[in-house]
Amino acid sequence: MSAVFDRRIREQRARVLIRTHGYRQRRHAHGVWLRLRRVLADASAAYAVSEADAQALVAEGHASQPVGAELEPPKLIVTVPADRVLTMAGAAAVPIRMGGELLAAPCLVLVPFGAASPESGVQ
Amino acid sequence: MTFRERLFATIRAARPVLEEPGVLVVGSEVPNLLESGAASTLIVSQDLDIGVPVACHAAVKRRLPELLQYFEPSADEPSVWMPRSPHLLEVNFVGVDASQDPAQAYVFEDDQLPLLVFGALSLVEPGAELNIEGCRIRVPRVAGLLLEKLVTDRTGEKGDRDLLVALGLLMTAGSADLDEFVGAYHRLRPELRHAVRANLTLLSLIDARAGMPDPRPQRAAVATLLQRVEAGTEESP
Repeated sequence: MSAVFDRRIREQRARVLIRTHGYRQRRHAHGVWLRLRRVLADASAAYAVSEADAQALVAEGHASQPVGAELEPPKLIVTVPADRVLTMAGAAAVPIRMGGELLAAPCLVLVPFGAASPESGVQ
Repeated sequence: MTFRERLFATIRAARPVLEEPGVLVVGSEVPNLLESGAASTLIVSQDLDIGVPVACHAAVKRRLPELLQYFEPSADEPSVWMPRSPHLLEVNFVGVDASQDPAQAYVFEDDQLPLLVFGALSLVEPGAELNIEGCRIRVPRVAGLLLEKLVTDRTGEKGDRDLLVALGLLMTAGSADLDEFVGAYHRLRPELRHAVRANLTLLSLIDARAGMPDPRPQRAAVATLLQRVEAGTEESP
């Protein structure tokens, strides 16, 4: 076997082992990032908001995402329709990716697909 | 010379192998070839992956001398053939073994054309025959190739590029393709289904890259696909 083939086979087997380990740990901390990505994947837009605004949304009955409580420090992540976000003067759009702006925000509002985002002008 | 012209020239140069029964074009060029008129606007990589079923290896090997005027085997990687002209793409031969476990890989040893056989390619089935400037080539069914791209672990820059291939396939998939994809997904074992869902979430969140398909306008389609594979199951991350 060529050295290149040998290396690529070993790399592939290592990836499978890592995946298997991750799968076994999916209910634990290892799975948190996937659960966070899964929530974000359903969102057409994300906004950083103040804790007071986020708590107000929860009090209104909007769903908070359990994965936020699994993070350290915990993050309050609330899913709301786009028209509700329009009324929040302090909501600051953040890119939907695992980047600094999103991860640094203590409180996030997510707009699910199917509910038009404010940028679209649809209310 | 445009990328499409290089891709077509490469297909013409590799025609003796590509027209061998059983051989498939796999990998990043499939979405390009499935675009209307094989427009080839989804540039992810600069090579042509040729899937060789292990049962067809001997027949393919007999055709290799016809490629030598255009390509030469790489000294570093024996399954890669380098173009003799800058107007051609390199060609990468990969083995396909339908009996292989999707999580495994092995080397099909041969002194002239050894093949890395990645088990995920066992999910691929022959699909449409395309006529590219007179060359009859076969590509996989979209559902199986999409599943192959998503079941394979993707990390780092290479992983993102591979996921963009999945995105390109998703962009060309029709509703029947997606129905087939969901059916095939449910036949996978749980660990592999988990890998597919994990890769779909990664695909949803990766950034745009210059010269590659922009994943952001397709995020809704990815979310819909995630919801479809999870529908009616207990599955969640």
